[in-house]
Parts: sequence; C-alpha cells; structure tokens
Amino acid sequence: MNGRKSFGGGGGGRGRGAQGGAQQGKDGQQRRPMFRRRKVCKFCADKIDDINYKDTRLLMPFVPERAKILPRRISGTCAMHQRKLRTAIMRARQLALIPYTAE
Amino acid sequence: MNRKYELVYVVSPDATDEQVNELHTQVEGIAQRMGGTIEKTENWGRRRLAYEIGRHKEGTYVLEVIDGSGELMKEIDRRFKVTDLVIRHLVVRIDEVQSVIDRTRTRRSDVSRRRRVARGLPPDRQPGEGQRGEPDDDRDDRFDMGEDMR
Repeated sequence: MNGRKSFGGGGGGRGRGAQGGAQQGKDGQQRRPMFRRRKVCKFCADKIDDINYKDTRLLMPFVPERAKILPRRISGTCAMHQRKLRTAIMRARQLALIPYTAE
Repeated sequence: MNRKYELVYVVSPDATDEQVNELHTQVEGIAQRMGGTIEKTENWGRRRLAYEIGRHKEGTYVLEVIDGSGELMKEIDRRFKVTDLVIRHLVVRIDEVQSVIDRTRTRRSDVSRRRRVARGLPPDRQPGEGQRGEPDDDRDDRFDMGEDMR
C-alpha cells in the first residue's frame, strides 16, 4: 500500500508521479523482508503536554552531537510537538542550556 | 491587566552571592513599584554554560515567576540589558500556555474516565493495573533544581 510510512526516505510520499507508483510496488516486494519499526511521537506516547525549555533532560535527545534539531522524519515526532519542541530548544539555546553548535 | 511571566537570568560567575541576592531584590522592587508580584523564585545555582558567553564558561541561573503587566517586564528587560552582571536573560509569557496545557490534561483524563466507565471499569486506574510498572509520579523528579532563594 501507499501508506507505508516505515520506509525511512519515503518523505511522506509527496510529489510522486505515476512512475513512482509503479516503482513502489516493486520496491515494496523487494524490501518486504526488512522490517522497520513504526515511529511514534514520543510526546504523544508519553503524554507530555508541556515541552518546557528548562527541561534539558527532555530536550537533549533531540539535539544530537552536532547540536542540530533532530528532524521529524528521523525522530518520528508529530507536527504539533515538533513545533513546540523547536521553540523550546530555541529558548534553551538563548539561555545557554543547550548548544547552538558543537565546535 | 496582569499576566504571568517567567524570567530567567544568568548572572556572571564572578558575582558574589550578595550580588545575586541584590539583583533579586532589585527585581522585587521594580515589581512592587509597578503593581506586580513575584510568585516564585528559584535559584538553580552555578551551572556550566552550553557555550561560552563572552569569556564566561559558567553562570548562576535564577528563575522568577512574576505576575504583572507588560510594562513591568519591559522595564525589567531594559534594566537587565544595561546590567553587565547579567550575561543572559529571557522573559517568557506563560499564562496562556499554561491554560492550554491544563485544558488538554483535563480533557484527556475526562476522555479516559468516560471510556473506562463505558467498559465497566472504575473511572480511575487501580494500582497494579495496566502494562508493566508505570511510575505514577514521573513528572516531578525529572527536573529538580535546588532550593528557593528565600
């Protein structure tokens, strides 16, 4: 089916033409044995309503070594929580709780 | 109209405890003068900065929750901008966000209660029920900051 989000590089299947559709069927067959866990938004799953900029322990997993914000396609965070996470990280950066960049 | 704000400021590591306290009394003074109140003060103590600010690698963090007008926060912001001892500060309005959070929380618990009743269960989760041992109180200990300033 088209709605398989489990392919890492799928990008939500945006902008795929008819040609892409034909290819995907083949791909799907090829990749069937490989199993990817379906990603779930951490904040939805753990019922964290408040993404607070002071809570570095919560934010740190979303800023890996280079200190860039982890993209949604990798972390699996939902759109609403990614937005909140972004503001929280940006505030924490202002206060030097989280680095802007790794040197 | 009064709103709730959160103010965090980072004091230079060279500052003595008295100077930090003095900054706090300054904030208190401004707040009183302009019809606001300080609801909470937390001193997080000395922490490592994530990056160097100027030549500093450490700083003393202080958090204040202030109930007051925008004018008041403007004045505090202006003061901190010209105070060299304060190397970084941030003012965030929290009342609206907090009400949204409370609303989602109550809505979620209401929904779960209704579902449980519909399934013929008691509205609240019984101890020892559900998958694995879920800690009941995992939110509060995640971020313990140290004692109050006062």
